[in-house]
Amino acid sequence: MSISTNLSFKTPNFSISKPHNPSFNPCKLQQLQQFPPCSSPIRANSISCTLARDLGVKMEEKETQSSVFLRPDSFGRFGKFGGKYVPETLMHALTELESAFHLLARDEKFQKELAGILKDYVGRESPLYFAERLTEHYKNSNREGPHIYFKREDLNHTGAHKINNAVAQALLAKRLGKKRIIAETGAGQHGVATATVCARFGLECIIYMGAQDMERQSLNVFRMRLLGAEVRPVHSGTATLKDATSEAIRDWVTNVESTHYILGSVAGPHPYPMMVREFHAVIGKETRKQAMEKWGGKPDVLVACVGGGSNAMGLFHEFVDDKDVRLIGVEAAGFGIDSGKHAATLTKGEVGVLHGAMSYLLQDGDGQIIEPHSISAGLDYPGVGPEHSFLKDIGRAEYYSITDEEALEGPVDPTPSLARRRAFKRVSRLEGIIPALETSHAIAYLEKLCPTLPNGTKVVLNFSGRGDKDVQTAIKYLEV
Amino acid sequence: MAYTFQPTLVANPKRSRILEYMSCNPKRIHSHQVNQYNSKSATDHFSSRIKSCLSIAGSWRFGKYGGRYVPETVISCLNKLEDEFNLAMADSNFQAELRTALRDYVGRETPLYLAQGLTDYYKNGNGEGPEIYLKREDLNYSGSYKINNVVAQALLAKRIGSKSVVTATGTGQHGVATAAICAKLSLECTVHMGTLDMEMQFSNILQMKLLGAQVKSVEGNFKDAISEAFRDWAGKMETSYYLCGTGVSPHPIPIMVREFQSVIGKETRRQSMEKWGGKPDVLIACVGSGSNAMGLFHEFLGDEEVRLIGVEAGGLGLDTGKHSATLARGEMGVYHGTMSYLLQDDEGQITAPYSIAISLQYPGVSPELSFLKDSGRAQFYSVTDKEALEAFEGLCRLEGIIPSLETSHALAFLGKICPTLSNGTKVVVNCSECGDKDLAKVFDIHHGLTK
Repeated sequence: MSISTNLSFKTPNFSISKPHNPSFNPCKLQQLQQFPPCSSPIRANSISCTLARDLGVKMEEKETQSSVFLRPDSFGRFGKFGGKYVPETLMHALTELESAFHLLARDEKFQKELAGILKDYVGRESPLYFAERLTEHYKNSNREGPHIYFKREDLNHTGAHKINNAVAQALLAKRLGKKRIIAETGAGQHGVATATVCARFGLECIIYMGAQDMERQSLNVFRMRLLGAEVRPVHSGTATLKDATSEAIRDWVTNVESTHYILGSVAGPHPYPMMVREFHAVIGKETRKQAMEKWGGKPDVLVACVGGGSNAMGLFHEFVDDKDVRLIGVEAAGFGIDSGKHAATLTKGEVGVLHGAMSYLLQDGDGQIIEPHSISAGLDYPGVGPEHSFLKDIGRAEYYSITDEEALEGPVDPTPSLARRRAFKRVSRLEGIIPALETSHAIAYLEKLCPTLPNGTKVVLNFSGRGDKDVQTAIKYLEV
Repeated sequence: MAYTFQPTLVANPKRSRILEYMSCNPKRIHSHQVNQYNSKSATDHFSSRIKSCLSIAGSWRFGKYGGRYVPETVISCLNKLEDEFNLAMADSNFQAELRTALRDYVGRETPLYLAQGLTDYYKNGNGEGPEIYLKREDLNYSGSYKINNVVAQALLAKRIGSKSVVTATGTGQHGVATAAICAKLSLECTVHMGTLDMEMQFSNILQMKLLGAQVKSVEGNFKDAISEAFRDWAGKMETSYYLCGTGVSPHPIPIMVREFQSVIGKETRRQSMEKWGGKPDVLIACVGSGSNAMGLFHEFLGDEEVRLIGVEAGGLGLDTGKHSATLARGEMGVYHGTMSYLLQDDEGQITAPYSIAISLQYPGVSPELSFLKDSGRAQFYSVTDKEALEAFEGLCRLEGIIPSLETSHALAFLGKICPTLSNGTKVVVNCSECGDKDLAKVFDIHHGLTK
């Protein structure tokens, strides 16, 4: 049973005896503070939460919740999603972070410094690349079809979009006078991005990584250590990402004065979803400018893969208020959404609290987190950013899912429809660009989308990462 | 002194008319056979040493280096290639297509990045030292400068009407770049790779295959792969294009490769003007065959106040014989169709080169760099494997950039040159490649699995 059937919460002023464990059973919040149960038997709509107003934060008065696109509101919520479900000890740090973020958003010197780093260190702006052969591939028998463009985030330093946010947060941390950075990582991508920026800015870097993941990703562990980071193994629980996250949060609670926690996605407690989105919003801003240059208009459809949701929000955010632009997120269906082995949170999840935010998440009847599965490590996450949950609920964005097989390559099969589902290999062979397995999910969705689009529709797909890291995984399944 | 080469027949009877390249030992020359292939021979000269190194298409040499030491059967192909190259360079449509590909596919222009961590590291006790900039060729698609030349040549191949491309690769970076652009342009692609190199480059081999290339193994290493690739191409010259990644080739290839790489130097000039309102004072690049160095240097050849420094692979030390420092220890000879410095023994046999950096492990060097050395326009030094590894780790820690082991040679030289430079000197190092491909090797070294 999910928490939302019985309880409504007043957050975040409750205190808990242990530091926040993001894999905790959401139902266990019952023991902390009880409120009159909601009359509705089900989930998301029956929750009402209030967030204590933090005096330290100067924010403009926002409109009431009748305004559809307050993102987020003054309480850090996107509709009913988001918020700050954290221990009291972290409240000050989050407040301080939010204040700093708003101040620096208006600080020309900071913005100029950040722009310079994005240009000279990260290598922005990333191109908007016309995928000519893929466009040709999706033409119908009348030679009609959409025009497909890739936003080439794979060309960034470290090979993915993640560095946009890592760089900005490291710079922010420096401005706050923090000398120490912590992060958690699963397969190592976010850890590498964090270690990279810490080296660049001369910050101490501690990365928490599940011991099991460390064994599987020894080269990435070595990479982080070469970059000067300390990689701490986490042996508790299943010794994977969610346990590493718990440990990182524990560290943060203990060292909050000196330490900044670089969260890698648009999940987590407010202000992280907003901050990470803003730091990735450069993707969408550049896309608008480049689209105008290339075809004198806006994109018609934006497509991006969704794990935590940061690359998608980075592309979508600029266009959320442009109602004529369709927003499509593609999640990982793993072995199939009915198999129970997937990471399709928005498709199959229910509303709950995970990692400090209210959002959709994969949980069982007891409110336990369901271990997700995807062939792509970056999508292998049981939650999703609260803003995506909001955009789904209000119908502004659409979310679909793609299986491992569809993302990669189907088994060798004479059936034409199956033979066509070869996103990872298809883009490599047609465009000479190897996508990350995460990105391959978005690419695979083109197979279903393109036949429905009128001739000349402009589709922009966020090419969120490069795939050389995935070749050894993919080759086990592909025939090359 | 006249030069000749001693052809040998390839054992394969199908190729009995094809002659293998051989190195040339000037100590044994008596006859004058070879110059039948070089109508513009050693009598060419230029009014000044600097003008001669601004070699233009149609002029086959850089001083006494360069030329075309190839079998007769290949001459017409090279003539055609030269004509097509000249036409393409003058064709604004081709140039526009190339610019778009470099911008949207490769991701140019690459930044000129102030490496503050390195700059601070090399400051002296008074807090003074040069300013160090990195030209970020590691940010190109495929992680290397190599793609600049590959994209341009592939577009040229398509323009000529070739259906397939043949090439050779050392570390695999050039192979991956070639496979990638061939996929994009619907060209068949065959990549030859030495068996010794294939052992450490599993990921690159997988990438090439995924991109649709056929990867053929050749006994030996990079130099052997080049020979085999040329042999392969020679059998199907009418429909196939030989995509050379190095400047060690018969004319017009050294000029073509240099021109296509010169985008590096052109951008550097403009960016340095934007950043500090002037030119660089010192340019540093690693030197294997020399194409990344020429790409950076060429734009500034006429600017005599800009120092040009190439850094070769000193391996285990120049006196050990285990190195690839061609310009430091080589002698003049003919290799892979061109006259240049070459690592050879007294009998004219190629000396096996060695370096921890595979792409620097090559016995030859670009003829243009040979000329620049002799004319004194550029200076060449070498660093050992150990120094390169230290520089590799240094850049990781100081800047959060993982360089290739090749690039690390250029970076290692900073340790020797920076103390000699005056405060505020602007140094630009060509960060030619990303080091992801070398992580496994460095990992093994750290864990004692390799020396």
